Amino acid sequence: MSLLKVSELSIRYNKTAVVDALSFSINRGESVGLVGESGSGKSQTALALLGLLPQQASVTGSIRFDGTELVSASEQTLDRIRARRIGIVFQDPMQALNPYLRVGRQLREILVRHKLAHGAEIDERVIEMLGRVGLSDARRQFHAYPHQLSGGMRQRVMLASALIAEPDLLIGDEPTTALDVTVQAQILELLEEVRDDTALLLITHDLGVVAGHCERMLVLEKGRLVDAGATTSLFASPGHAHTRLLLDAAPRIDRASSLSPATGASILGIEAVSVSYKAFGNEQLQAVYDVSLSLRSGETVAIVGESGSGKSSLVRAMLGLVPMRSGRAVYAGAPLEGPVEHRVKAQRRDLQLIFQDPVSALNPHMRVQSIIGESLLVHEPGLSSQARRERVAAALGQVGLGDEYLGRYPHELSGGQAQRVAIARALVLGPKILICDEAVAALDGSVREQVLALLLKAQQDTGLAIIFISHDLAVVRAISHRVVVLYMGRLVEVADNAPLFSRPRHPYTRGLIDAVPVPNPVVAPKKAPLRGEVSSLLDPPSGCVFHPRCNYATEICKSKLPAARNLRGARVACHHADEIDMSL
Amino acid sequence: MLRYTLLRVLGAIPTLLLVIALAFLMVHAAPGGPFDDERALPADVAANIERAYRLDEPLPRQFARYLSGLVRGDLGPSYRYRDYTVSELIGAAFPLSLQLGAMAMALAIVVGVCAGTVAALQQGTYLDRTVMAFSMTGISIPVFVVAPVLVLFFAVKLHWLPAGWSSSAGASRMVLPVITLALPQIAYIARLTRASMIDVLGRDFIRTARAQGLGTLTVVRLHALKPAMLPVLSYMGPAIAAIVTGSVVVEEIFGIPGLGQFFIRAALNRDYTLVLGIVVFYAALIVLLNLIVDVLYGAIDPRVRYR
Amino acid sequence: MTHTRKLAAQALFVALLLVLLGGCSERSVDAGLVLQRGLPADPESLDQHKARSIQAADVLRDIGEGLVGYSPTGLLMPAAAERWEVSADGLTYTFHLREQARWSNGDKVTAGHFVFGLRRLVAPATGAFYANLLAAVVNAPEIVAGELPVDALGAEAPDDLTLVLKLARPTPYLLSLLAHPSTFPLHPASVAKFGERFARPGKLLSNGAFVLQAWVPGSLLALRRNEYYWNNAATALDGVNYHVVIQDSAELNRYRAGELHVTSTVPPDNFAGLRAQYGSELHVAPYLGLYYYGFNLLREPFKSNATLRKALSMAVDREMLAEKVLGRGEAPAYSFVPPGVDNYLPTVFSFTPLTKHERETLARRLYKEAGYGEAKPLKIELRYNTSDTNKKIAVSIQSMWRDVLGVETTLINEEFQVLLANMRDAEVTQVFRSSWIGDYNDAHTFLSTLQAGTATNMPRYASADYESLMKRAAEQVDLGRRRLYLEEAERVMLADHPVIPLYFYVSRHLVSPKVGGWGDNVLDYHYSQHLSLSATD
Repeated sequence: MSLLKVSELSIRYNKTAVVDALSFSINRGESVGLVGESGSGKSQTALALLGLLPQQASVTGSIRFDGTELVSASEQTLDRIRARRIGIVFQDPMQALNPYLRVGRQLREILVRHKLAHGAEIDERVIEMLGRVGLSDARRQFHAYPHQLSGGMRQRVMLASALIAEPDLLIGDEPTTALDVTVQAQILELLEEVRDDTALLLITHDLGVVAGHCERMLVLEKGRLVDAGATTSLFASPGHAHTRLLLDAAPRIDRASSLSPATGASILGIEAVSVSYKAFGNEQLQAVYDVSLSLRSGETVAIVGESGSGKSSLVRAMLGLVPMRSGRAVYAGAPLEGPVEHRVKAQRRDLQLIFQDPVSALNPHMRVQSIIGESLLVHEPGLSSQARRERVAAALGQVGLGDEYLGRYPHELSGGQAQRVAIARALVLGPKILICDEAVAALDGSVREQVLALLLKAQQDTGLAIIFISHDLAVVRAISHRVVVLYMGRLVEVADNAPLFSRPRHPYTRGLIDAVPVPNPVVAPKKAPLRGEVSSLLDPPSGCVFHPRCNYATEICKSKLPAARNLRGARVACHHADEIDMSL
Repeated sequence: MLRYTLLRVLGAIPTLLLVIALAFLMVHAAPGGPFDDERALPADVAANIERAYRLDEPLPRQFARYLSGLVRGDLGPSYRYRDYTVSELIGAAFPLSLQLGAMAMALAIVVGVCAGTVAALQQGTYLDRTVMAFSMTGISIPVFVVAPVLVLFFAVKLHWLPAGWSSSAGASRMVLPVITLALPQIAYIARLTRASMIDVLGRDFIRTARAQGLGTLTVVRLHALKPAMLPVLSYMGPAIAAIVTGSVVVEEIFGIPGLGQFFIRAALNRDYTLVLGIVVFYAALIVLLNLIVDVLYGAIDPRVRYR
Repeated sequence: MTHTRKLAAQALFVALLLVLLGGCSERSVDAGLVLQRGLPADPESLDQHKARSIQAADVLRDIGEGLVGYSPTGLLMPAAAERWEVSADGLTYTFHLREQARWSNGDKVTAGHFVFGLRRLVAPATGAFYANLLAAVVNAPEIVAGELPVDALGAEAPDDLTLVLKLARPTPYLLSLLAHPSTFPLHPASVAKFGERFARPGKLLSNGAFVLQAWVPGSLLALRRNEYYWNNAATALDGVNYHVVIQDSAELNRYRAGELHVTSTVPPDNFAGLRAQYGSELHVAPYLGLYYYGFNLLREPFKSNATLRKALSMAVDREMLAEKVLGRGEAPAYSFVPPGVDNYLPTVFSFTPLTKHERETLARRLYKEAGYGEAKPLKIELRYNTSDTNKKIAVSIQSMWRDVLGVETTLINEEFQVLLANMRDAEVTQVFRSSWIGDYNDAHTFLSTLQAGTATNMPRYASADYESLMKRAAEQVDLGRRRLYLEEAERVMLADHPVIPLYFYVSRHLVSPKVGGWGDNVLDYHYSQHLSLSATD
């Protein structure tokens, strides 16, 4: 008998169905992946299993968990099931944990509630669980507040809270999406270790994760189950067109790029730039330390790094949005200096920026027409309104949107449409350099593909140079000519696309590449390549800042900061770069 | 944290000075003086009195002397209660007002938070609407309407409570004044709590708590209450000020010999020193209580504390 | 770490509870027979020279004793002085003090203590409010003006038991002045030791029937029996608690609850109901006080138009005011000096015997004579200080003037201090409400207020005839002749109509049947030493 049997589950809000006649089952100990794009109803399903949907949701159908019917069950019944029989890990641990309570306090309540321990034993069990999820010095973390922990540690705490009552089923709702990729690898590995024979329902949009960790797979499209089966089978021959679409659209770390190297003239140079911020009190937070890079016309340079790498700070300094502590940036022969308000208009026009969250980057009170037209008002005031309208329409066309979008407000646009509008706004001025700061991170697979395609086209048509900031190496491999790897604000490696991904020179680069889940179910997932997490920027490690996590670290790495040097076409900052062979 | 507190206290001093100066000017600007009466005094006698109480000095000099006394902790003699210093009078009357205010505040918080929480948990139902309707009336109806109505109903009609401030009634004489004073605050706090609680209940960590099977009561008590209280805590500053000023009216209506009553009498009697002394006292009190609120904020929200 | 914080929070909580629950009631003198009396406000001071109000005087009369006092029915009688002699020219008074008189610490009360007190009264540095009370005493005005030292005062103590007062002019009512608390003796050693703060519980020495035991400002004054008082044997009460109750309705409630035996007043509304309910417990007696409207004689239209003033005065239906509008036992006032004053028969208006109709017809005629009529109505402002009673009266008079004469009156109510200032400045007032309460039982206390140059002369009345009559009266030694001059002065003044007397005050008290010895008198003096309390509860 299956542990969980869902039959004809439908979830409606005001007559709109977000989940439509969903039926599936999960057996004891099984791991099942639930995939789909955003809006496909994955999270709604998870919440429905625990009875956590908002009041407005009307649920029909059946959810039978170990014989008990969960749809329209009483709160008491559900409370007995929650945590004790079904545990859940949510996506964002900073939001999902109570910031006002100490970690231990939050966890022990679960044991108390479900009467699983008494007296002094309660705290001991919590500490033991914290240790099992990999928190070093668990006894101390028991008394910590969530904001005192790093992102990875918080998610481990969440996992601890989900498993401490030893449930039969664990649901992970995008449990690693908000984490750095190297930490994601650790957490996914931990999940395997720690769940024992607890069944797993893993909800994700990342097919690499499903390939590595789920025996079976369910595909949702707009609330309906369109495909189900063993992961290996579905990957090899997808049953439904949507599945195929998802598989094709997923960027793959193991697929080489087809771009030819750029040959344009060098237009941007960044030399030894450092950026620091004033932290609480008088401490200085060094966000970027002595980074140099260059950019040619028609070239895409990707800046890669995890949290704390300084990628955003670097480009912000370049654009004059934050002050540069030292170093210089040069564009077309002229220095880029001073705050953005004081810069020459031409410089401001030629360097454009796109952000991660398109909807919040657009002014909610303005229509698309005005949003795009605003830049023209500033930079080309001589234009007649007619000419301006034409330019705006042309820009929209360039991003593949028709005139009907001119009158829309940002909240009426989907994520993909909004990002296109943002790109149109950037491109309408005909810039020379476009900086994309995690521009596609919030977009679903197919939409992401389309946006990337139009960026490439703009580059081919106009010789646009692109600086592409991303933490997603698979996307980076697909679209960049050269790659710059940053770690804790320091330059770690710069290389052309092909050599970087086939033979990285720096241990961190290798770790990053290995950490990315490969959407190939036949190949077993790699062991988490790097241990630990990014250290605190306020108190960086001595010598090479990467040494605490590096598998090749020696004494010299702990004391001496490695300088960036040229090594066969790449620049690397590592003492041992020429000794280690990290070919893939 | 200590440094922060010290800086706040120091920063309050200019504010207090400004308050004192304004109060001084206003009270002297009002027509009449502390010794005016229908039984007007003969010129010689009046002159002697003015000289004896130093009211014949130019205003700036009087102000300077007042300030120098203030620094030494001497609030001056009362012009009306001539055997007592202002400090003695405040010291005698304040405990009563403090009792009244503290009980009203406590009542307001307890009832307000409970009502707001219940309304938030039952959002949209009749219970929610009823609670909010009551709170609306609490805010809208002024104190001097509520008080006599309460007295009429509970004292005169039902004889459950004493009608005025009688010394033999013991604790029951506090009931109506405390309720009257607390009523508008109950209303504000209930609305504030409800809105804040609804907001907190929508947050992710509440969903986590529910997913842990903790049950509504535990979720509210352990997880939701503290963060939901933060806006209420911020409101405490103005609430305290409101209770302090509201107590003036309530004391007058119920005839309670508290600081508020002395304040009214002092103003009407043009008892300059007593008026100023009470103003200074109230101002310092409000500053101090606001400071305590800030400290409490840090106690609830650890992120503020660990800066 | 969490543990200590929890502990601290709990401790704070407990402390808070204690604050909240503790101190819920007050302690007062409750041993033996203790009379509970209501007081409308705190005395400003129990230093008799710093005190001023009636309630202060009431308490002071229980704590101290002057040379003379009053009986429950209002008759002057010896107090600290056994007997006295007056010289033939009326300028020298010799008082013989009681040998047994003692302060509450056992010290003898000497004549020197009286002299000390009187000197302090007139000393400019004291700033006493009643410094001018004994203006008749030799050199008193000069000392007050700062021209002479205090020991120039015409008060001497040739020996411990003899006090001699020398007067600059005959003052037949001097004895009633000497019942006023500001003339009470003072204990020099106390004043020397405690300075200005000698009038506090535990420090204040008393030569009267009671001693100040406790004083909670705003709430309570507790007096207990003075064992050393020379007449302590005759004092029936062991203590008196004066409860400060500012609102008369609250005072009534407490009387109803049995917490007060005597109230200081009675709420103005529903007088008839109270009368019906309480019968003889409600004591209403004529009081030495007058409620009147004054004209500002420095400004038109009243400055030079006596006829107009008379018309307005006649148009008022005083009976209606006293009986219908007020209805609390007040008497309509047709004179300036109230009835019942010692050795005096007040003069009344010439129009007093007229019927209402006759009076109003005459008033209309005078109004026309004054130059006003329907075509040219009089437009004036009437100012009064904020109170329900004042408003009621003002509105009534406004309608009376309108109905009878066609006068348009604008009513302006002002805060008391503001009105006082306006009356003093005499720049904006036309008709204003005022009142006067006598300080001693003699017509002089009323008539002197309208003398030229007096600060109390709000209308700014100045009549040469009035001045000369008052002067002549002041010179008289013979009481009968003095009286004639005073009565004539009142007649002259009334005929000038500087004021519109409206009604005479009454004193109103609720007195529990348990209280014995209560006497109604025109001064409204009720010494606690004359009162008793029956023991039955």
